[in-house]
Amino acid sequence: METAALIVVLVIALALFFDFTNGFHDTANAMATPIATGALKPKVAVLLAASLNLVGAFLSTEVSKTISHGIVREDQIEPLAFLPIIFAGLIGAITWNMLTWLLGLPSSSSHALFGGLIGATLVGASAAAIDFGMVLSKVVLPALIAPFTAGVIAFLVTRLAYAITRRYDNKPDGRDGFRWGQIFTSSLVALAHGTNDAQKTMGVITLALIMAGWQNSAHADPQLWVILACALTIALGTYMGGWRIIRTLGKGLTDVKPAQGFSAETSTAATILASSALGFALSTTQVASGSVIGSGLGRRGSKVRWRTVGRIAVGWVLTLPASAAVGAFAALLVVWLGPAGIVVDAVLAVAIIVGMFWRSRRNQVDSSNAMSEVADSGLAVKVKRNPPPTRRQRAILREERARQKAERAEERARQRAKERAKDAAPRTPRDASKER
Amino acid sequence: MGISIDWFAFVQVFAAALIGALLVVGFYAVGLRLLVRSGRAPVVAPAEFTDAITVITEKEARRAAKAAAKAAKKSPLTDRQKRLALVGAFGSFAFCAVAVLAGLALIVLR
Repeated sequence: METAALIVVLVIALALFFDFTNGFHDTANAMATPIATGALKPKVAVLLAASLNLVGAFLSTEVSKTISHGIVREDQIEPLAFLPIIFAGLIGAITWNMLTWLLGLPSSSSHALFGGLIGATLVGASAAAIDFGMVLSKVVLPALIAPFTAGVIAFLVTRLAYAITRRYDNKPDGRDGFRWGQIFTSSLVALAHGTNDAQKTMGVITLALIMAGWQNSAHADPQLWVILACALTIALGTYMGGWRIIRTLGKGLTDVKPAQGFSAETSTAATILASSALGFALSTTQVASGSVIGSGLGRRGSKVRWRTVGRIAVGWVLTLPASAAVGAFAALLVVWLGPAGIVVDAVLAVAIIVGMFWRSRRNQVDSSNAMSEVADSGLAVKVKRNPPPTRRQRAILREERARQKAERAEERARQRAKERAKDAAPRTPRDASKER
Repeated sequence: MGISIDWFAFVQVFAAALIGALLVVGFYAVGLRLLVRSGRAPVVAPAEFTDAITVITEKEARRAAKAAAKAAKKSPLTDRQKRLALVGAFGSFAFCAVAVLAGLALIVLR
């Protein structure tokens, strides 16, 4: 029982470390666009993001239930023997996150977590221990559909925002006012991030508590201390991660207009919140990226850079199987070496944490590693500096040209008439003497 | 053992997110439009100038504010119409806030 208690403590510590890195990495998702458009001062943005992540973690527990009571079939596993497997799954997730961070590859912390858990369960327990229906409907399909959903919605609302505020008389259109709105929409994204991402860690800790027999399996909700610990950790991670953004001040982001940023953030927040309510565990990075691409396309004269989109998509698709492979390897160590395997995994975890800390100290912070994949997604859309006119603007231009042409013709006719009148005027004796 | 997928849940998410986003963005944009109509075109300079975006300088912001004031002076609307537009603008912003709070309440009370 002491070993089980020790493993639960290790799982909680590692899960909270994962939660911290999640907040640290994802501050940019919520606050990249308001900082880039100048809607918020970076310090205020980071503080706001941290506070709202904290509040968001208390809003719902549906995603947590999906992880603690959905992915693993409890009747197919030996509870105490499953504890080291959860630990191995977390090692898989963190290792994959570390690798992608070092190599600068696009990735998703959430999918790394699911991949690690699934891979470790496949090797450490059996394929029957995984509810593939639940994995498909609550993890894999939402991962594929949600960025697309967010992109389509962002495209539509960007068009709507521009259409409503467009003016044809060159008078002020008031679009600057979207900067005020961005303060609220970016806050909503931070709230949604706390609602979805903090719950993933809550789910893992609750699963470990159930396996150790410290929580009734019929009671799926995470305990209050678990919610509080996860909320505080993700908020702290968000706050600490924010300082990296302050140092870079949004370098590397494409030209984001306030109306576009407002629409992208609304779409991201709406998609994540609606998904969280139904227990879909999403990657907030992918949803935010989908929204940024969609809203970019919503601007006139924009084009997709398919090569960049392809590079991002490959990174996303790779995350789940790659982290599953690492999780499976960590579980294999436990299966082969028994308790010694757990020690090897624990040493590996400490090495990764120390490595991450060391790397973050020596790594120079620049646009490539501070603004996350959302900035990369912005580069996937090419927006013309001078967009082509709308149909109505073209009609107005045509009318203007026709009016100018008519005016010129009228002027010419008037001058001709004047000359003719001058020629036809009777000659006076004075004119005749002038001619002589 | 068959795998059952609740496809309707995805439709629900899409519909809820689309309706929510359309309401918030649509009403906020209408609010801004009405604010401009009431002669109070917002000129909001960025909170901090960054080098990542097309920013306006303080001089440009002053010029924009002057242009907005000039356009407001030339407005053919009566004072009553302007007041109505202002009330409509704040009504639209309030509707946005209510829509967001209602969405959050639905999630919390679920």
